[in-house]
Amino acid sequence: MEQKNKNSKKPSYSRFSQQELPAWKPILTPGWVIASFLTIGALFIPIGLVALSASDTVVEIIDRYDEDCVPDAYSKNPESFIQDPDIKKTCVRSLRVPKKMVAPIFVYYQLENFYQNHRRFVKSRSDKQLRDPEAKNDTYNCFPEARTADNKPIVPCGLIAWSLFNDTYKLSTRGKPITIDKKGIAWKSDTKVKFGSNVYPKDFQKGGLIGGAKLDEKVPLSEQEDLIVWMRTAALPNFRKLYGKIDIDLEAHETVKAEVENNYNTYKFGGRKKLVLSTTTWIGGKNDFLGVAYITVGGLCLFMAINFILLYVFRPRRLGDPSYLSWNRLPIA
Amino acid sequence: MASNRPLPGPFFRSPISAGPDLSSPTSSKNSDGSQIVNLHPQQRPDTLQNSTSQQSISSNSWRANSVNFGSKGVHYGSRGGAGSEGFSMSMSRREINDEDARLVYVNDPLKTNERFEFAGNSIRTGKYSVLTFLPRNLFEQFHRVAYMYFLVIAILNQLPQLAVFGRGASILPLASVLLVTAVKDAYEDWRRHRSDRIENNRMSSVLMNDRFQEKKWKDIQVGEVIKILANETMPCDIVLLSTSDPTGVAYVQTINLDGESNLKTRYAKQETLPRIPEKDMISGLINCEKPNRNIYGFQANMEIDGKRVSLGPSNIVLRGCVLKNTDWAVGVAVYAGRETKAMLNNSGAPSKRSRLETHMNREIILLSSFLVVLCTIVSACAGVWLRRHRDELDIMPFYRRKDYSKQEVENYKYYGWGMEIFFSFLMSVIVFQIMIPISLYISMELVRVGQAYFMIRDDKMFDATSNTRFQCRALNINEDLGQIKYIFSDKTGTLTENKMEFQFASISGVNYSGEKTEFLGEEGGYSIQVEGQVWRPKMKVQVDRELLQLSQTRNDTKSKEIYDFFLALAACNTIVPIVVNTSDPTEKLIDYQGESPDEQALVYAAAAYGFMLIERTSGHIVIDIQGERQRFNVLGMHEFDSDRKRMSVILGYPDSTVKVFVKGADTTMFKIIDKSLNLDVVKATETHLHSYSSIGLRTLVVGMRGLSISEFEQWQSSYEIASTALMGRAGLLRKVAINLENNLSLLGASAIEDRLQKGVPEAIESLRTASIKVWVLTGDKQETAISIGYSSKLLTSKMVQIIINNNSKVSCRKSLEDALITSRKLINVTRASDDDASSVALIIDGTSLVYILDSELEEQLFELASKCAVVLCANDVSMIQMADVGVGLSGQEGRQAVMASDFAMGQFRFLVPLLLVHGHWNYQRMGYMILYNFYRNALFVLVLFWYVLFTGFTLTTAITEWSSVLYSIIYTAIPTIVIGILDKDLSRRSLMTYPQLYGAGQRQESYNAKLFWLTMADMLWQSVVAFFIPLFAYWKSEIDSSSIGDLWTLAVVFMVNIHLAMDVIRWTWISHASIWGSIIATCICVIVIDAVPVLPGYWAIFNLASSGLFWICLLGILVTAMIPRFVIKMFMQHCKPCDIQIAREAEKFSNRMESTRNGEIEMNPPQR
Repeated sequence: MEQKNKNSKKPSYSRFSQQELPAWKPILTPGWVIASFLTIGALFIPIGLVALSASDTVVEIIDRYDEDCVPDAYSKNPESFIQDPDIKKTCVRSLRVPKKMVAPIFVYYQLENFYQNHRRFVKSRSDKQLRDPEAKNDTYNCFPEARTADNKPIVPCGLIAWSLFNDTYKLSTRGKPITIDKKGIAWKSDTKVKFGSNVYPKDFQKGGLIGGAKLDEKVPLSEQEDLIVWMRTAALPNFRKLYGKIDIDLEAHETVKAEVENNYNTYKFGGRKKLVLSTTTWIGGKNDFLGVAYITVGGLCLFMAINFILLYVFRPRRLGDPSYLSWNRLPIA
Repeated sequence: MASNRPLPGPFFRSPISAGPDLSSPTSSKNSDGSQIVNLHPQQRPDTLQNSTSQQSISSNSWRANSVNFGSKGVHYGSRGGAGSEGFSMSMSRREINDEDARLVYVNDPLKTNERFEFAGNSIRTGKYSVLTFLPRNLFEQFHRVAYMYFLVIAILNQLPQLAVFGRGASILPLASVLLVTAVKDAYEDWRRHRSDRIENNRMSSVLMNDRFQEKKWKDIQVGEVIKILANETMPCDIVLLSTSDPTGVAYVQTINLDGESNLKTRYAKQETLPRIPEKDMISGLINCEKPNRNIYGFQANMEIDGKRVSLGPSNIVLRGCVLKNTDWAVGVAVYAGRETKAMLNNSGAPSKRSRLETHMNREIILLSSFLVVLCTIVSACAGVWLRRHRDELDIMPFYRRKDYSKQEVENYKYYGWGMEIFFSFLMSVIVFQIMIPISLYISMELVRVGQAYFMIRDDKMFDATSNTRFQCRALNINEDLGQIKYIFSDKTGTLTENKMEFQFASISGVNYSGEKTEFLGEEGGYSIQVEGQVWRPKMKVQVDRELLQLSQTRNDTKSKEIYDFFLALAACNTIVPIVVNTSDPTEKLIDYQGESPDEQALVYAAAAYGFMLIERTSGHIVIDIQGERQRFNVLGMHEFDSDRKRMSVILGYPDSTVKVFVKGADTTMFKIIDKSLNLDVVKATETHLHSYSSIGLRTLVVGMRGLSISEFEQWQSSYEIASTALMGRAGLLRKVAINLENNLSLLGASAIEDRLQKGVPEAIESLRTASIKVWVLTGDKQETAISIGYSSKLLTSKMVQIIINNNSKVSCRKSLEDALITSRKLINVTRASDDDASSVALIIDGTSLVYILDSELEEQLFELASKCAVVLCANDVSMIQMADVGVGLSGQEGRQAVMASDFAMGQFRFLVPLLLVHGHWNYQRMGYMILYNFYRNALFVLVLFWYVLFTGFTLTTAITEWSSVLYSIIYTAIPTIVIGILDKDLSRRSLMTYPQLYGAGQRQESYNAKLFWLTMADMLWQSVVAFFIPLFAYWKSEIDSSSIGDLWTLAVVFMVNIHLAMDVIRWTWISHASIWGSIIATCICVIVIDAVPVLPGYWAIFNLASSGLFWICLLGILVTAMIPRFVIKMFMQHCKPCDIQIAREAEKFSNRMESTRNGEIEMNPPQR
């Protein structure tokens, strides 16, 4: 037979070509539907509760100081205050600790209405230049902060670096200063790889318009952690950036005195500045959203499970019952 | 016009065609109208497209003209020019203008091609050379809208003002698509080049220096004289000069040209016949038309020896034809290389667009307007934002309009408020470009290729008898197969095997339908001895014992009548007997070649009764009658035409008596039979005919008349005049024939069975159960048609038959109105009762159709027809090209239907798996894939869009540009294609068992506006979930844009893959691999992108993944996004289960079902 049909064009049989590969054909029966809703409910509600309680353990102090730190005389025109180099910018804030805060406590500055994700802003940087001293001329994307008036490349170039946040904080409690540890606030990957240890700032903030902090030209970029943190541009217009860490606990109802050097100009565009002291847990800072969301979804699933149970009890349908086929259904006269 | 047809009834391989929907009045009018309008002979396309690789011909002009090839009167041969008769009177009479003409000097290629304007004979089907490949291929690719869109977007992105993506990222999608297509094209072209090379280097013998010498095909030039030997292939288009046959006949096989394997006859002109090219210099001038693609038309004239001779299509042999049964033929090349008719005809099949794709395009326009809306929102908001902050922009740290680095402070990259808005718009088009799922077109092509693979490889659609696989000739209408509502089918050769078998004979009023002698097994059948060899017919026919005995006796009047009857069968035809060698040297077979299977059957029958046709030349035939060789002169022949519906042959007997034999359809034959002679015989024959046709046999009536010398001479002179007439030759010849064919004495009638193909009744029953309306068109008589209708289960006893056969417009109108009333009543009754058994069948004959279509009754016919389940029409029409889906049967000879078809298969019954199984799957898969692609792309775009609202409307994307680009290339591309090719909603078994499941496609259940909007709503919800959960979770946190971008990327990719996974019905390892593999590939890509130090997002994914918040977010997104979909799906599944759902459940739980409710479900045993 085989030999006789040598010229046969009959397609050779394979399970693949006949579309008969072994297959798993799941059908969600009522049992599976109810079980999956119950599982999700049973999983989500505990997760939500855990997340909520975790968020609850976080202690957070937020202090908005941009308005209060402008002397009353300048309140109508805060810009002239912030732009005048001769006026002393120091401003003292006292922060009340609501609950005991266990070290490490993170010190953040929070900017609001600051579009670090603006297209003009995020593009204005040179990642090559940050890494490699040879690439200091790679300033193509950095305009308008690419080169000095005499056409020397600015290192680090670009708007992001130029606008480096330059408010400073000094904390003290009961007259004793609290040391803010500013080491290790940036990602290790950034200090090790992304920012060169042999790249030094050059001609930075030398132009006609000062955007923010200046950098010590003797310190390599890989150690300029404030810059590194700043250059991880925030995803959203309201964001926090790590300023430093405190390694001591703060007791409840304690008052922390914060000496703020209010240098950074957010008055021009209505940005807000806040000082934040916060502890963290495994879900990060204080945020009830996920906990609530999980509990809601879990609850909803339990509710759906009940609904489906009722549906299957009161309107049962036998699976695969041919009388439900459209041509078997009796026309309703 | 099927003129010159030797027999009534269609005998060609016939098309089945089908249309998805005729329900809407406009479309129905079109397809209906055009189908039926084809009944008018003048409404035929006259150019054909044909080639060996990619043919499409209008089968109907083929049908009309093909007859010209084969059945040209033997007598005409020696007369030459008449060959073009009947095909195109007006054309052959038209003078060829000098500008339109090509002058070919016979045997003088140099003079012929003085100005080097004629192509040489080398062919190049390859499109590209090494040098031209890149520019030409790119040019061709950019002809497609999809690629243009990619290109425009990529170009826009290159403008510095609009540079949203980097160079590399913006070009990648276009480049990858171009590369894939270019590789595919290059491979195809390489194969074409290879076959060209082989073709060009073949050899032929060409007359050079008065001697025939071998020459490569590519060097042959127009004007050269070429000699072809038997079984050689024509290197170019050749006008015959002389052949080995003294009358100038050459037989050719056109299988390479149109796939027909039977022999066609061609003639050399009388004037050129005596020339021997080597000896006397042939010189002449052929004035022929410019090269054209019409392979059935040719007109030219030849000046030779000062005489002007006209040439027609029967004098030219086209490139690719094979010379058969003729020792040699000599001709002059008139068209060579790419100018040959076969090459010119080599254009692709006309493209059809599937119904699903048409609907899809409507939704794509909708998506385009969504895109415009999104872009407008973004640009308007950007405008407002800029206006509100216009005083702050100069030194705003994140805008910095002014550039202070120069002496003069200037605006930096700021082009004014209006321009900024405009640029925002263009940039948002670039960012949101995949909203229009251009890649969908490419995915669809791939999916169709995959589906075609499965259709071709399906061993249940392989025809073992003809050794043919299923053929997919059109690649863009696979999914239409799942939405068919009407099938228009020819009967002969489509429902039937087209293997005619002689069954009964009625001779002089005696019915011979008795016991049959079996020849199987025994060494039997009629055979003759020729020079020590045994010659026997190739096909054995069962014979009637009594008739066989009677035919062998030789004395009484009865045997005389039988003698005349069989002589008529053996002589009155255009069959060419060919002697074939067998493995046994003492035995030879006679193969009767001819175009009409009916004629073949009759000649084989005559041979079985001892009247064996053994030789036919243009002037005589030799018939072996009961072992005695007799030679008859063929004095003339009037071929079949559709007006007379009969043919006749004038035979000169050895004793120089002359008789005319006529064979034709009973309706026309009884008009010309002299009833005064033997009224009883006529009446008896009529009764027999009726009984034959009521059991579905094809009948023919044979008559004869002796001609006196004066009668013959009178006929001869008028025939001479008619066949040389310059104007209206066909009409004149018909008149001559009509004058001759009268007062015949009735010899008898034959009944031929054309057996139904295997499985046809079951197939038709399945198709009807699938509520596909079946129209069958046949050339048979009404009784035969109805009888076949019953035996093929087209008609059932439960059906109400409406029969329309009228001879006037008025009566047609009346019966049509009556029929409408009846059908309306019946349908109302059907609705009221729950019984669907009483459906309506309409049977309408050709005459009535002509009346109806000529008048304003068309609308009514349409209304009636759309109410009927079954419509039988008494005519055959070309349908394939007009149909939405053309299906050709490739089983036996006559492949022209295949050439024109979109799909071709070996047996009618394969239509059931084709439509019910593959069609259903294809439709289901394609419908889902389109919706899924819309969803997938829109989801991504919307996530991007939400983010833009939080960036000051500046089109920043948190998702890296590489991820944006790779999203539709790597992250999500493969699963949708794999599922589109492999997923099966139901098993073959269920689909075949319940043909009603096919209704899902007819009702457009897989793709419709409601589903589109539901999918879009789902998409909206999912995009909100995917975007806003991370947004709120990371609100006022230290999250950087790269990290949150990675989260969004992963969330969206996981989501679309899980969405797909939820809809997959059949999980094979391939589905698993593609879906989970895509997710893994995405993770790898994201990791790789984040491991590049010079990208801003360096290491973001690692930092992100080390926090618990990320995982919680991801899980929350995936679950929350899927809940509404899951709930609605489960709810619908339970409360409003569709048929497919029920059948799926039944498939899985059938064991339980069968045990509980035995008898309710009838599951056929598995096919394998």
